[in-house]
Amino acid sequence: MTNPYQQHDVGSNIDPLASGRLPPLNARRPSYASVVSGSPSALARPTRSGGFSHLLNPSPDSEQQQAQSSNPYSTTQDPRFETGMSYAHNGEELPARDDTDEAVGGGFWPPRLGATFPYFSRAFDLYVSKDPLLAGDPSGPDDARFPSTNTNLNLSTPGFLSPSYLRGSTYLQKLEEQHRARILAEREGTGSNGAAPPSSLGSRLSTNGSSSHLPTVGMKATGTTHRGVAYDIVENHLSPADEDDTVSPLPSKWNRDDKEAALEVLGDGYEVRHTGRALSDHEASAIRADHYMSPACGVYYFEITVLNGRHDKIKTPPIAIGFASKATSTSRAPGWEPDSWGYHGDDGHSFASQNVGKPYADTFGVGDTVGCLVNFRLNQALFTLNGRELPVAFKDMGFKDLKGKLYPIVGLKKKEDHIMANFGQRPFEFDIDGYMRRQQGMIAKDIRLADASKLVPGLSETDIIQQLVLQFLQHDGYVETARAFAEELHTEKMALQLDPQEPVKGISVRDDEDAHNRQRIRRAVLEGDIDRAMKYTDACYPAVLRDNEQVYFRLRCRKFIEMIRKEAEHNIMLEERGASHTNGRGQATGDNDDEEMFEAEPGHNGTATTTNGDGDLDMAMTEAGDGAGGSDSAAGLSKLSQEALLYGVELQAEFAGDSRRETVKQLDDISSLFAYPNPLKVKEVAHLLDGSGRVAVAEELNSAILMSLGKSSRAALENVYAQTCVLLESLRKDGGDGAFVTVDNVVKDIPPSRLR
Amino acid sequence: MSSWSAALELGELDVDSAFRDAVFSQLRESFDRMNSTTSTATPSQHAFEKRAADIKAPKSDVNALILDYLTMEGYPKAAAKFCREANLQPQQPDPSIQNRQDIQHAIHSGDIARAISALNEVDPELLDSDPKLHFSLLRLQLVELIRQANGGDPTAAITFATENLGPRAAANREFLNDLEQTMSLIIFPLDKLKPELARLLSPDLRRNTATKVNEAMLVRQNQRREAAIRQLVRMRAWAETSARSKKKDLPKSIELGLNTDNSEPGESGLEPMITT
Repeated sequence: MTNPYQQHDVGSNIDPLASGRLPPLNARRPSYASVVSGSPSALARPTRSGGFSHLLNPSPDSEQQQAQSSNPYSTTQDPRFETGMSYAHNGEELPARDDTDEAVGGGFWPPRLGATFPYFSRAFDLYVSKDPLLAGDPSGPDDARFPSTNTNLNLSTPGFLSPSYLRGSTYLQKLEEQHRARILAEREGTGSNGAAPPSSLGSRLSTNGSSSHLPTVGMKATGTTHRGVAYDIVENHLSPADEDDTVSPLPSKWNRDDKEAALEVLGDGYEVRHTGRALSDHEASAIRADHYMSPACGVYYFEITVLNGRHDKIKTPPIAIGFASKATSTSRAPGWEPDSWGYHGDDGHSFASQNVGKPYADTFGVGDTVGCLVNFRLNQALFTLNGRELPVAFKDMGFKDLKGKLYPIVGLKKKEDHIMANFGQRPFEFDIDGYMRRQQGMIAKDIRLADASKLVPGLSETDIIQQLVLQFLQHDGYVETARAFAEELHTEKMALQLDPQEPVKGISVRDDEDAHNRQRIRRAVLEGDIDRAMKYTDACYPAVLRDNEQVYFRLRCRKFIEMIRKEAEHNIMLEERGASHTNGRGQATGDNDDEEMFEAEPGHNGTATTTNGDGDLDMAMTEAGDGAGGSDSAAGLSKLSQEALLYGVELQAEFAGDSRRETVKQLDDISSLFAYPNPLKVKEVAHLLDGSGRVAVAEELNSAILMSLGKSSRAALENVYAQTCVLLESLRKDGGDGAFVTVDNVVKDIPPSRLR
Repeated sequence: MSSWSAALELGELDVDSAFRDAVFSQLRESFDRMNSTTSTATPSQHAFEKRAADIKAPKSDVNALILDYLTMEGYPKAAAKFCREANLQPQQPDPSIQNRQDIQHAIHSGDIARAISALNEVDPELLDSDPKLHFSLLRLQLVELIRQANGGDPTAAITFATENLGPRAAANREFLNDLEQTMSLIIFPLDKLKPELARLLSPDLRRNTATKVNEAMLVRQNQRREAAIRQLVRMRAWAETSARSKKKDLPKSIELGLNTDNSEPGESGLEPMITT
């Protein structure tokens, strides 16, 4: 496969001085894997918008995008991903796709992609992993034509600086969301993709809707695939409108506008060289990074490597590393001034805001890698030398009380002195991940020892959890489960009762018709039978759909999606089995079960609906073939697509007057589905059909019903979750304990659901 | 109303009479509510509450927490039902959950001998590899024997202690302390015990021992030790304590909302009588 973006070879853009000056430590060259994760390539690519340059966004230029989108069946899956691959370092073109794939497959990526999107990861697992059509089963018949094995890789936003030790942290997660939001904003601003004309629905062959939509779709695919159709409930999760939510970006390179004149920033912004103006003894040349170290990180770490710049072979040139506020002069060495701290290579001393240093550690010089670690939680800072942790250099820093923000800084003095920084764009020499884990471990221990029984006076931790679970089950209408659980709890209490005479207080599961109804409605949505869900809802809660226009709209859209999905699945089935198999299966129920049957018994012809096994009346209704139900034989194919088409046009007409951005966008999204013969096989849109979209719709409907009944829209367990998030947030602000733990990490511990 | 009757005529509703009645009563209820309720004006909310209200736990995460709990803590029937109702795949095969539940149940009921033999059947090496756990179980068995004697003839208990616990305790100071403490139950009348001794007779000892056994079994199956929901609840408790000690601006008390919407007026929120 040829790389369409070779013309943007960045090698030519790199300052010639930047190459060839590396010390004989070639091992430090970034690994291919790191290229993928923190691709610095964007730095050298022509930036489209100066304001966003720090976001390192290697998004394809719009013309490339167009080229890409005008051919939606191209095997080139993700333009941004490709771009990342064409990165060349120091003029050496890296092998493109294959090697990178290998690095990726070789475990560089966190096994749970939730690392960067933990909040949503679960939904992704549950649905995608068991759906061979969507998960990109490598053995799929059309694999060669629609390679999809890399689907998951898109979960990481390309060009986003994500230092390993911060992965999974809320800080990094927020940064990444901002990053993606800005990419999106930028694209929508530059491209002409307002709303696709509604007419795109009418013309089946038009790629109009899809091409104008690729950017949006692509963005979704990078992180929110499982969310399927816009699901703003979850989206709100991380962005409760609050000014605190904008987080400062990580330092990512040296700031050309914040340095002493004799310094020169080379290449992609990591290397600094002294151009050699004579300096007096009390002077030095310093440069700060582009952004400050945010306390919200909890711990911030960066490294510099002293390159082989000097010809006079001084082993320990006067080079200093540290951190300082913006107010300090760049013509003084780090540590010499108030609000400036540093470790000096020529004498091995540490300097804490004064001219006189203290003996601290070894001297360092050419070939050495020195790290600077700021621990906001413990209010201290220390350095590392060639991967070795040095003692704490500065204690009781009182970071909270500092007026200025602290920036990474280096100071050089002599001509040709030359350093290269690592801001996390590639693996560090020092095991910072391990350091971070130790910090997290300390907090985890505190949490383990916490006494949960004081949350509800009079109840033990076990009691509280039992109540939380039971209440959730009832609240959310899991009637059968609630009953079974109550019975098992009752048995447990009986067993624990010492005196058999004493009556055991039972646990009631109120025979709540509401719960039954809600459960029935949920089930219908989860099975993709939207008609049935709407019928039930209208029957039981006539006001709900009338009063909740958004929910109504979502349901209607979902129905359209289910129609498309059904047709797509039907087509795949026909392709797989050849024309001889024309049995109509009750497709509206239990898609997943059906697919399992597929895999297990390819030759089996039976009606798979029975595997769903709920045995209630729902089933009979579906098989009776109402609404979107019956699809039969080859004739059904065209009938299905006709129905979907009609329905789509109707939907467009019904909401034509609704100019809300979200409505337009969603209509737009789903009409793009029509552009493909089989959207399930087109990665850019397949996520729209994802089963997790059903969950979103089902829960939205359930909440609306609960609200209409005057009940709290959520159970106590959900309160616990939300309260914990907010409490951690408040503990995170000044770099405290909250920066090191997230609720996601708890949920992430749960093994992803497996197939039977 | 009209759509309801229309649906009914079409025969597309589940029209068993209970359901129909329910629908009617539902309609009546919502009708009444429409007429009577004044919108509940929310009292001025603390900023914390507002922020928390803005955060929605993804249902998939909550479902995962629930299934994890039911699986890990050994509620096989509820776990199976939940998988069905929430369209989830089981986390562990049924028999594994059932085994753990059976053993926990035996311990909860005080039938330690049965628990030990069941445990040995499921995992013959577990108790050998964990002397501390084995000792806890045997000591609980001793407590149960003393309880059965109820101040009467303690011979059975003493024989059991001599044969099973003595040899183990001899080698381990901690075990010895536990054994001595337990044996003193024989000497004192059971209804007039000092608190630290009375604690041995409380059901909590059974519950704790059962939990330890369950955790050990999970670890042997390469599972995590405990359900994630426990960590979540503790994290919630810890975070509040930390935030308060750091003088963060919080409401006086942060309610979990456990008994507010669960209980109808007249019902005692937490544990009303069983109706099934």
